[in-house]
Amino acid sequence: MKTRMIRALALSAFAAAAFVAVPFSAAKAQDFKGPVRIVVPFAPGGTSDILARLIGPKLSDAIKTSVIVENKPGAAGNLGAEAVAKAKPDGHTLLLMDVGNLSTAPSLFPDLNFNIQKDLAPIGMVMFGPYVLAVHPSVGVSTPKDLVAYAKANPGKLTVANSGVGAVNHITAITIAKALGIQWKNVPYKGGSAASRAVISGESNTIINGTTATLPFVVNKQLVGIAVSGDQRLPTAKDLPTFKEAGFPAGDAGTWQGLLTTGGTPAPLVNKLNAELKKILAMPDVQAKIAEQGGVVKAGSPADFAKWLDNSVKTWGGVIKENGLKAQ
Amino acid sequence: MSRRIDWPDLLLGLFLLLVATGTLVATRKLGVGTAANMGPGYMPRVIAIAVILFGLFFTGRGLLRSHLGIAQVHLRPLLAIPLAVALFSLLVEVAGLAVASLITILAAAYATHEVRAREAVIFGVVIAAASVLLFVKVLSLPLPIWPPDLFG
Amino acid sequence: MELLDNLMLGLSTAFQFKNLLFCLIGALIGTAIGVLPGIGPIPTVALLLPFTFGLEPASAMIMLAGIFYGAQYGGSTTAILVNVPGETSSVVTCIDGHEMARQGRAGTALAIAALSSFFAGTVATVVIAVLSLPLSALALKFTAVEYFSLLVLGLIAAVVMAHGSVMKSLAMVLLGLLIGLIGIDVNSGVARMTFGITELSDGIDFVPVAMGLFGLGEIIANLERKDERRVVTSQRFRDLMPSWADLKQAFPAMLRGTAIGSVLGVLPGGGAALPPFTAYALEKKVARDPSRFGKGAIEGVAGPEAANNAGAQTSFIPLLTLGVPSNALMALMIGALMMQGIQPGPQVMTEQPALVWGLIASMWAGNLMLLVINLPLVGVWVSMLKIPYRLLFPAIVLFCCIGTYGISNSLFNVWLMLGCAVIGYFFIKIGVEPAPLLLGLVLGPQLEENFRRALLLSDGDFTVFIRHPISAVLLGVVAILLLAMLSPAVLRKRKEALTE
Repeated sequence: MKTRMIRALALSAFAAAAFVAVPFSAAKAQDFKGPVRIVVPFAPGGTSDILARLIGPKLSDAIKTSVIVENKPGAAGNLGAEAVAKAKPDGHTLLLMDVGNLSTAPSLFPDLNFNIQKDLAPIGMVMFGPYVLAVHPSVGVSTPKDLVAYAKANPGKLTVANSGVGAVNHITAITIAKALGIQWKNVPYKGGSAASRAVISGESNTIINGTTATLPFVVNKQLVGIAVSGDQRLPTAKDLPTFKEAGFPAGDAGTWQGLLTTGGTPAPLVNKLNAELKKILAMPDVQAKIAEQGGVVKAGSPADFAKWLDNSVKTWGGVIKENGLKAQ
Repeated sequence: MSRRIDWPDLLLGLFLLLVATGTLVATRKLGVGTAANMGPGYMPRVIAIAVILFGLFFTGRGLLRSHLGIAQVHLRPLLAIPLAVALFSLLVEVAGLAVASLITILAAAYATHEVRAREAVIFGVVIAAASVLLFVKVLSLPLPIWPPDLFG
Repeated sequence: MELLDNLMLGLSTAFQFKNLLFCLIGALIGTAIGVLPGIGPIPTVALLLPFTFGLEPASAMIMLAGIFYGAQYGGSTTAILVNVPGETSSVVTCIDGHEMARQGRAGTALAIAALSSFFAGTVATVVIAVLSLPLSALALKFTAVEYFSLLVLGLIAAVVMAHGSVMKSLAMVLLGLLIGLIGIDVNSGVARMTFGITELSDGIDFVPVAMGLFGLGEIIANLERKDERRVVTSQRFRDLMPSWADLKQAFPAMLRGTAIGSVLGVLPGGGAALPPFTAYALEKKVARDPSRFGKGAIEGVAGPEAANNAGAQTSFIPLLTLGVPSNALMALMIGALMMQGIQPGPQVMTEQPALVWGLIASMWAGNLMLLVINLPLVGVWVSMLKIPYRLLFPAIVLFCCIGTYGISNSLFNVWLMLGCAVIGYFFIKIGVEPAPLLLGLVLGPQLEENFRRALLLSDGDFTVFIRHPISAVLLGVVAILLLAMLSPAVLRKRKEALTE
């Protein structure tokens, strides 16, 4: 008796799971037939994943077909991007990722199996998340000026944790050091949260990372904020100067998230998706969620996005090549 | 002479030598660096050399120690199980989970001579249906159920 | 009496009807996916994440946490019954747990695993409530230097653990380390031994290797044997439940396992692999007759299972106190918090006391539910062994295939499992234990990463490993273990020499 009840319970739990696991479906329309997949080339729970799951249901309502979010993590996002690059060019396979990673991939991985500019078609930028440059309190500085002075007086004493060799925050650190003529040690970690942890524990003493991974610790006085990237100061940390105000280069460094599809997708489909994306990004609840992710909405045309990508491939890729960060 | 060969030790030794030599060849181009700034080739080389030493030790001991054989190898399961896995890989994205499951079950079932054809087919169909339900419907594994080209 | 207030707040949150319900759902789903090989808690939590949008934050976290520790209960089931470790943590349970099943004591093994997990879960809940702050302070003391020394200790433990020859297990650990080096090197960004295969750039995944070496390799070997291959089933209820003598034997192991798991779970990345392996090694060291291990020793199930579950729970501590994830699953939980509009970070505990303490209190409730679910299930699982082996094993092969595919939705892992199945069979044929290899595989990348980072930060000064006190103590223990391990061998040799 008892086991039968337990079984029934287990079954009902599965039924509940089945109920919630049904993809967000809707009636069919002409443009999109069958499910549209948004491939997120990273593990679930990250910014790209949260954005995809935020946009997915709303896109499903707009294009009247089911939208499924699929995580395909691996190789710094290249595996998932490759899957989209090699999909049928019918606009039914989308890619939502940190496009900074995408723009550095050709320079970082020479044996990449696809061309990020030809085999992928930009739909539109989604958000920009500024970086915060922060130090461990033991460094004893709190302004950009003091930081630069400290770095000049103590070459190699500042250790900058980054989220991996060739990651955008690594490139940013190299760019800043070069422009200011300072020497600091770049310490690679496996991902942004490992880097954050290392700086809080004092293993490394400087970090350039997204706001959600840094600001809570600045508020808690476990880290000291120095400057933020982006055009303007953060509403949540008004006393931190921007990179530009501080005289740092790389003012546009940060997390850029964008939506792409397979290269060769007919322009009307891409434009339709871009129009829907822009509408979704204008929704107040979407903007609120993106603000929670420490970012601001960056809606734009496919052409704007393509230009951004082109520019990033040149500047960030250039830093990678100059510094020999190439994976062999 | 085979009297004096300890086959398990000898085979383990040769296996280790093979893997370690393979590593050395695959990593020969990687920089070794210095202790302060080790290159990517440092650890692979150090460990591969240690594995080679172990490989030599076991090979030597295998050749010198008294005879120890290996239980007879039966080819049927050794071929059928990997074949079942290979068929799954080859079929699942092309023919869908339902077909791939059934064929995998059948191929695996033939790993033993105890197999009963009719029973295996019925069981295979039931398990294939259960897998589709569980993995695709409940756990949303992104796999096609039927051949996508026919039903896409 | 702030603690009491907090606990009361937590209990009143956790024991709201709807939260109890979500806790139960989480525990049930967790058990189910734990039982399925390969389908781990991470994809499941990821799948359910968007649907927690509509729930209250506390309910969402309680359910997701329930899936996580529920999977720890379920994972041991497959390990014991069919020798397929679905998670890193259940590899150790395979060793003696499956051996017990072969001797017809599957019921006892399953029940001891559930009881040990429950005991550890209960203690770990108290540990989180009382010791979060000191433990997270300890976790922050662990930099690359200390972590390297801890990993060395873990690897030495693996050698102690093997029940075959020390030489063979040393060779296997090294082989595991070597395989672990495959992929992009964190410190230089260079791809190593990937042979141009993109899938290899993140390294070899643990699950296909474990399922191939253990599960499939054993099936191939099993099919060669005639009679003794079937797991003996006994259906009398008395045999399903452990006897007093079993419990008495297992209890000290549970205690030690819980202590080890509680401490190691707090450390980054260590949560899954180190606690059960270390607990097993310790049990073998303190046992009066170490030769019983690997032949169905009940302590070999109780200790690691307790360590595993305690570690799973205390791995929440860095998340709750610092807002930093200690493993991939905790990173997901942070994602869940952010979706709820809660900024994870050091302030969570003070800003969201109902959420944090509700979660802590729910862990105990969840563990109790899991015990109630799992003990009656023991009978169901054991009766599954009555399915003829000729039907059981093809189903296991299929589930391994689907499960491996599900880890990252890639066929590459299925091919990898195929290769490992053949190697696993080869290892069985030549009498080599694969468990040390798996530990080397899991710990190898972290070992190298931390070693090189420590030297990078110290400008190549090797003395940092002795100058940091925690590291010095850990390395001291390594030295003692090595001496203890070698000395009996030395003594025996001397005796042999004398008798000759």
